[in-house]
Amino acid sequence: MTAKPHSALIIVGHGSTVNADSSAPTFDHAAEIARRGVFGEVYCAFWKEEPSLRQVLHMVEANDIYVVPNFISEGYFTRTVIPRELELSGPVTQRDGRTIKYCEPVGNHPRMTELLLRRAAEVAPGVPPEKTSLFIVGHGTDLNENSAVAAKREVQNIAARGVYAEVLNAYMEEDPLIAKWDEHAAQPNVVIVPFFISDGLHSYEDIPVLLGIATESGGAASATDKEIFRHNPYQLRGRSLYYASSIGTEPLFADVILEQVAAFDAVHAATVSA
Amino acid sequence: MMSHLSQAFAEWMAGGGREIGEIHIEPVEGGFVLSHRDDVSRTDVMAFSGAEAARDLAHFDEHGKFRPLKTAPNLRRGWKLHLADPGELRRALDYFYPAMLGVWLSQQRGRLVTVSLRDTLARQTGMYAVTKKITDAQAQTMIGSFCRTDGGCLKRILWPIAPGEPVTSLPAEKFQTEAPADTLPLLCHEACNLLVARARQVVKRAEASA
Ligand code: SF4
Repeated sequence: MTAKPHSALIIVGHGSTVNADSSAPTFDHAAEIARRGVFGEVYCAFWKEEPSLRQVLHMVEANDIYVVPNFISEGYFTRTVIPRELELSGPVTQRDGRTIKYCEPVGNHPRMTELLLRRAAEVAPGVPPEKTSLFIVGHGTDLNENSAVAAKREVQNIAARGVYAEVLNAYMEEDPLIAKWDEHAAQPNVVIVPFFISDGLHSYEDIPVLLGIATESGGAASATDKEIFRHNPYQLRGRSLYYASSIGTEPLFADVILEQVAAFDAVHAATVSA
Repeated sequence: MMSHLSQAFAEWMAGGGREIGEIHIEPVEGGFVLSHRDDVSRTDVMAFSGAEAARDLAHFDEHGKFRPLKTAPNLRRGWKLHLADPGELRRALDYFYPAMLGVWLSQQRGRLVTVSLRDTLARQTGMYAVTKKITDAQAQTMIGSFCRTDGGCLKRILWPIAPGEPVTSLPAEKFQTEAPADTLPLLCHEACNLLVARARQVVKRAEASA
């Protein structure tokens, strides 16, 4: 991507009032992009943390502003909450001498497939993919989100590459249930990648409990539970199980954020004069 | 060229500005040293350097508990942070008190639009749509406890419940924007999401007990 020293980038995350790790990947990706010096200014903004979506525009000095949602899919937040809180009128909003460019969420980018493949390979080094079942795990019951649709699309894309013997969707709360992973998987090796934007209770505890590699802590799960990712492979139900942290913690997300900016420019070049 | 914000902040520092929230800023040879304002004269503190260290210092309180509201008066003590230049200082302050420099400058320039609690709640959708039902009396009580400076939040409140209907459940200082020359005020121009979430609880509890 060409440098934009006179533009600002705002990466929007959901954030949380209870999970300290929810905002971490968004802050990490912002720090990495700031380090590269591509944008004149780089900020984060959150729905549930600070800076909030209502505060962040006061931090920005540039008149040319790109907003990239760090979300796994389009849905209620990208279509309703973010535009409402930032008072956006569409992909391009002109206000008070500023142009705000609203990009697609990171999870929509075609490179997600490559990132998932990379994470799957990293977590199970030297394990032959042709003898491996790969699961992409989503939440499943989020009514307003399309994360399940996005997860299905990724499974199809990965399967089409023909690298893994099997690529499967699974969910925490609906069929196919991740709790029955051993019934769904036919291969001796099983790799599990959570399709979430950050680590938290789901990846530290809920999924591990469903997999059978952890017991319920009764709410005591915390950042120390990153341990769960450090004991691969788990020998369980006659298989070797490899469990990865959430895909959103992948450092290459920083590249995808920049590519969503480039994709925005490619689509809107004709309508926006920078 | 120095940005407007960096310029305004540098002028504030040159005019003797030293305190933001619970942070004390000390200009030193080769940069700045930040500390908790109650630790200024302490020497038995852990030394950190660089703006990124501010992220963790701001993220957890003394007991390692997550601080979702960065202006809560529970910034941990026992550290000092060295920052090499004004750019690092600004980034560190953005971790400690996100957006507060920018909001302050907007207010100084008469560009800070305040939003009444009723307008904030009216805009909510999804699980927060129900917050519209909060009564004025319930809102006063909630704000009086949730936003109080002592134990709640250090920001000054600039918004009313509704036009012509100010918040009356907190002392007058809570609504003042003026601050001593050495202090940069933390300003709340619109109710935060934590207060909106609390409003949901208030409405739900009242419904459950009705
Ligand atoms: S509404 Fe404003 S004053 Fe009240 S807790 Fe939130 S940020 Fe602080």
